[in-house]
Amino acid sequence: MSVRIGVVTFPGSNCDHDTLWALDELGAETAPIWYRTEDLDHWDGVVLPGGFSYGDYLRSGALAAKAPVLGALRAAVQTRSLPVLGICNGFQILTEAGLLPGALRPNRHGQFRCEWDTVRVVEQSPWFPGLTVGMRLRLPIAHAEGSYYVPSGQLGALFQSGEAWLQYVDDAGRLSPSINPNGSIANLAGVQRGSVAALMPHPERAMASYLGSDDGRRLLGAWVKGVSQEAIHAR
Amino acid sequence: MHAEDVGLTTAEYDRIVKLMGREPNDVELGLFGALWSEHCSYKNSKGLLKRLPNRGPHVVQGPGANAGVVALDDQYELAFKVESHNHPSYVEPVQGAATGVGGILRDIIAMGARPMAVADMLRFGRDGHSVKLLEGVVSGVGQYGNAIGIPTVTGDVAFADGYAKNPLVNVLALGIRRREHAIGAASARPGQLLVLLGQRTGRDGIHGASLLASRDFEAGSEDLRPTVQVGDPFLGKLLMEVTLAAVHGGLLGALQDLGAAGLTSAVAELCYSSEVGAELELDRVPLREPGLSSYDIMLSETQERMLLAVEESRLSDLTQLADQHELLCSVIGRVVPGSELTIRHHAEVVAHLDAQWLVGEAPQRPVDDALWMSFGAPVQEPEVPAAAPKLSVALLLKVLGNSDVRDRKPIYRQYDSMIQTNTVRGPEGETAVLRVRGSRAGIALAVSGPARWAAVDAYAGGQGAVLAALTRLAAVGAEPLGMTDGINAGNPDKADSYGAMAALIRGIADAAEAAQVPVTGGNVSLHNETDGRAIWPTVMIGAVGRLVNPEHPLAETWTQSGQHLYLINPSPLDWGGSAAQIMQDGEPGAMLRPDLAGAVRAMTAVAHWARQDQAMALRAVAAGGLGATLVRMMASGNPAVGADIRLGETRPEEKTLRLFNESPVQWVAVVEPHHREALESHFGERGVPVLPLGTVTDEALLQIDERYRWARIDLLQAWRHPYEEEPS
Repeated sequence: MSVRIGVVTFPGSNCDHDTLWALDELGAETAPIWYRTEDLDHWDGVVLPGGFSYGDYLRSGALAAKAPVLGALRAAVQTRSLPVLGICNGFQILTEAGLLPGALRPNRHGQFRCEWDTVRVVEQSPWFPGLTVGMRLRLPIAHAEGSYYVPSGQLGALFQSGEAWLQYVDDAGRLSPSINPNGSIANLAGVQRGSVAALMPHPERAMASYLGSDDGRRLLGAWVKGVSQEAIHAR
Repeated sequence: MHAEDVGLTTAEYDRIVKLMGREPNDVELGLFGALWSEHCSYKNSKGLLKRLPNRGPHVVQGPGANAGVVALDDQYELAFKVESHNHPSYVEPVQGAATGVGGILRDIIAMGARPMAVADMLRFGRDGHSVKLLEGVVSGVGQYGNAIGIPTVTGDVAFADGYAKNPLVNVLALGIRRREHAIGAASARPGQLLVLLGQRTGRDGIHGASLLASRDFEAGSEDLRPTVQVGDPFLGKLLMEVTLAAVHGGLLGALQDLGAAGLTSAVAELCYSSEVGAELELDRVPLREPGLSSYDIMLSETQERMLLAVEESRLSDLTQLADQHELLCSVIGRVVPGSELTIRHHAEVVAHLDAQWLVGEAPQRPVDDALWMSFGAPVQEPEVPAAAPKLSVALLLKVLGNSDVRDRKPIYRQYDSMIQTNTVRGPEGETAVLRVRGSRAGIALAVSGPARWAAVDAYAGGQGAVLAALTRLAAVGAEPLGMTDGINAGNPDKADSYGAMAALIRGIADAAEAAQVPVTGGNVSLHNETDGRAIWPTVMIGAVGRLVNPEHPLAETWTQSGQHLYLINPSPLDWGGSAAQIMQDGEPGAMLRPDLAGAVRAMTAVAHWARQDQAMALRAVAAGGLGATLVRMMASGNPAVGADIRLGETRPEEKTLRLFNESPVQWVAVVEPHHREALESHFGERGVPVLPLGTVTDEALLQIDERYRWARIDLLQAWRHPYEEEPS
């Protein structure tokens, strides 16, 4: 049985096709999901891809968080723990929609930043079998608003609850402020809550060493496997 | 309204009256003003551009269309072109640059191709204001390209005082289409509906083409700010998706984007290239605010609009597609037989003329053959090359910090270079390499435009720019398919400025001819002149090549100690026009005229070598010469190794010339020790000289002739310098 994963296209999404390609490479059965859809029953997992939904004109992700598909997504997460992965703009949308804690603020240096970074897995997740704590992944970022923020009083809880998922580290795996690309609190690059996980880096761009790294393949491959195990369990 | 209000001369006005057999009304005069402007008609440059070679076995579409097209393989074709947005970017840098990107992307889309790469070529002054302009321009390029989702994969930046009030913003875009999706403006047929897709029309950018882009700057040009358009990449993205879906669905008869001179230019170009006429109903053009006059609607340069010719039977499919993306789609007229253009507004005919007059009858300056031929005449080469200082440790560090030489990363890290997941080699390299999903062939894209070479001898500089771009393609073993040229010069009414442009174009023509690579399209921006001071004649060349096995392009640097280094095709010891020479002397000297036959021989031999298994790495010698090239190799290579270089030159002044000349057709080659003979015989058999340079060592040092030593970290620190105001 092949796992069915949909990738949502909002007006202005621009990594939807890249993400579909990456998931196809991993053997998933994929299709785009139009943002006006209100029925997600068909899907075992859903990705909110990168891009500039609605031009990011109000605030990144703010308008997409009100789109019809988000209502359906919220319901499916609550009723059947639908696995959801947010990438870049998808992460911004999920925090705006309240499905993930915190917020993504403009990069502290005020510029868009595209570069290769290393992230470290902080917490194991049943939706990512094989991604073990301490594992390092080399992935590209490309964003202007990726500075993750939670009020300082909530940071401890984020780590204690296992919601802090990925952190930017240097080549030796150390947490260092100097390699933080955007001013993110505690170097956070990704968070998770229940069946919802999201990250600022773009795993779909790191699918082969000739594209710079194949660590994105490891991350997405782990998720496809996790979604697949859940699906078997559920059916 | 008078002729000069729309930028026309009295003589041009008289010609219009003669063509029409009557005085034009204000709307008609506005149409002529726009299309007969320098910006739209290329009246001063078209005759020269016709002399560029434009045919070749891979050419699908030569000059004259929205973009040139070459065949990549038997399935895919590549559309590409460079365009300038210089004047708007000085007046309003962020929006000027952003709409420059949007505009060239629509040119590519108008050929039915999906954009897959952007390259930015920028020139600025060296004062504090120029640093602000640079920040704004880079932010604008990024805002549009990043949001619409096209990677900016390579680029070029340089600085000189002459650009302080005339910065150059040239953007190249490249797109891909399947052969069966070929479309353009030339296939409209009578009976088809004319449909306007995209943004509502507003008052923005009226007279952008005729007054802003076709005149010199003078005090008070800031008042032209309302003539700059505003870009909306979000709408641009929707417009791109709907247009390409319509092309793929076979819904369109013809396609033309709206750029300079808006609807006027789009309708006239469509009519001219399809040999048809048109009827327009301006009441049906969706407006952003009520009360726009016929004149405003025809000349507005509101961005993110496309003009489509559609069979009536396909209209509902098109409307449905536009509705799905919440994009406006309005029938505004019809294609008719003949060549007459009739424009109605408020139930009255507001303009009635022959569309051919607007395009085909636009004035053209004839080329003086004697002038053209004069450029090729040999120049007296100085017997003693320009004096150079002795090589020193400090000199290399100084050259590395030169703004034309230093690491461009502070710019390109603000651009998404990886979206679409085809970028195998991005802006960190000399040549961008893209894979193509569904094809074994890949794309190599290189840009070049060192105007410092053209400052004294524009003919040599034109040749040099072409050769430098092709040198980069050769370094990855790519086969050149075509080139695009962005020409930027001063006021063509002045003999000096016109002569410099003509010499530049002659240089491009001769080098392209020698290399047998066609120029399939481009752009000319004139009047880059402020208060009587013109820029250096500047051409930005973009070269597109095909390479096999794009997933594994030849490396650009060494990997481990013991490897051997060679300089391929070493130039004579002359550094005229180089960044280092200008630093030393304060003004550019003449560039040594390239030896075209030798250059072509070397490029062919290098491209061939690059495809051999023995080749380990190759890097084109670029800004800052061999010295800076070795440092770039060091920066991108194994951080634990360095290089021990032995120069053949004995005098310290000659060592300087060897290290810092920027002669375009040179490469550093890396080979394993047991492949040295193979390299030497490969180039020897082909008559291409090579110089052994030394070896890769296991110390993070650059060492030259045992006398000069630099730690890797010091070199990188000098090279990685942010862009800031230069002390004068």
